[in-house]
Amino acid sequence: MKDIIITVKQQKTELKWLLACFGLAILLNIVSIIIYQTSWTEIFTQILWELLFTLAFYALSFIIRFLYKRIKK
Amino acid sequence: MYNELDLNNINRRDFFSTLGVGGLIAMFPWLQSCTKEKNEAIRGEKVRIGMIGTGSRGMYHLNNLLHIPQAEVVALCDNYEPHLQEAAALYPEAKQYDNYCKLLEDKNIQAVMVVTPLNEHEQMAMDALSAGKHVFCEKSMALTLAGCKKIHDTYKQHNQVLYIGQQRLFDPKYVKAMEMIHSGLIGSITGMKAYWYRNNDWRRPVPSPELERQINWRLYREHSAGLVTELAAHQLQVGDWALGERPESVTGFGDIVYWKDGREVYDNISLIYRYPSGIKMSYESVISNKFLGLEELILGDKGTMELEKGKYYFEEAQPAPGIMQLINDIEHSVFDNMAFAGPSWVPETASISKGYPVLENMHVTSGESSTGAVGDGSIELLTAFCNSAIVNEKNDRLVEEAYYSSVYALLGLQAMDEKRIITFPEELTI
Repeated sequence: MKDIIITVKQQKTELKWLLACFGLAILLNIVSIIIYQTSWTEIFTQILWELLFTLAFYALSFIIRFLYKRIKK
Repeated sequence: MYNELDLNNINRRDFFSTLGVGGLIAMFPWLQSCTKEKNEAIRGEKVRIGMIGTGSRGMYHLNNLLHIPQAEVVALCDNYEPHLQEAAALYPEAKQYDNYCKLLEDKNIQAVMVVTPLNEHEQMAMDALSAGKHVFCEKSMALTLAGCKKIHDTYKQHNQVLYIGQQRLFDPKYVKAMEMIHSGLIGSITGMKAYWYRNNDWRRPVPSPELERQINWRLYREHSAGLVTELAAHQLQVGDWALGERPESVTGFGDIVYWKDGREVYDNISLIYRYPSGIKMSYESVISNKFLGLEELILGDKGTMELEKGKYYFEEAQPAPGIMQLINDIEHSVFDNMAFAGPSWVPETASISKGYPVLENMHVTSGESSTGAVGDGSIELLTAFCNSAIVNEKNDRLVEEAYYSSVYALLGLQAMDEKRIITFPEELTI
């Protein structure tokens, strides 16, 4: 069985993608607050939704990047 | 502790931080005598009480008085020996009388409690005030409109304290709910509804037939007006308290529908009180079905207050968080079919909202007991009476509220008896 090696550079890149997804989830929550005129405290109180969207966005970005690399090869 | 208005055993910090004691008293002045400060000021002092009437309600009060350190029951009076002996077992040191006039001659007694059949309130309360005693009289004030006015006028002529047994005025959940209503929580009041449903014949066991009217006095017109004076008088007062107005007219129907057992009072009543602003308070009492229990509902354009249960409800449900609304909207736009009709045809069934509690740790009563319930404001009311008697502080607003609730009840009876609309008589305004 072959070892999978994740380099430091790859780790940093994935972390940046994750942070970007988290930022996007927060932005989505802010947009929702503005559209539906709800309380600004939801930025904090809806943190679970933000984390869930972060994971969803990250998973989506991972699939797209994976397919992109495959096609590029 | 039972000896002060226990508004916040409950939720003291929240309640007083938003209102403050001063604000509360200004809004509801009858609470002036049961504050923590008042209790501390008279700590160690006692008022010597004579109890006139030791039946079921009298015993309820006597048991409550055991928890009030500033109350000392020194005399008991009843013309029905078994009741008197039952009370004497609770207070063996107290003097016993079978005639209230003799009790009133006792100079040692500072205050009396009149807990007798309704037709006896008028004479006993006036005699007691004239004898220089402070008086606690059970509701309703009197059996007749003239009797209510006479008691009020006698009270005004004397320096003694008069309390009427309107315990809802001292029930913490009512006080808090009314404060919320007055602060605009449920918006503008647009209607009020009160009811008391039971399923029992309201009879007490009678050891021998000649005692029927003495024991089951609530069922006979010479002693009582029935449901209006024994139940409705408590609840009608709530309408004025919430609205800050007094009704100008009343109409209604009363019948003996189910308990056709020789009683003379209605067992099924329905009344509508109209206020000057056009708002109505409907009142119903039926004692052959208990499905709905008892309740007073204050209906506002933004919400509803359910006073007996101590809960409030908003007309519009609190919106979901923005992000959930967004998900919901996206889901609907993707999966929903095209609408083929507007919502106008949808029947408006009753709200299924669970509501919000007015206070934590509330006492809620079922209304089934004919004598009294735990935590319904009765102890606070008695404490206030004792405090007022000790410092000789009259409580005019309490008397006024009690007077009007008794008058409304009797005007309701008149409307039912005469089957017409009764306008509030100007001469009964105080």
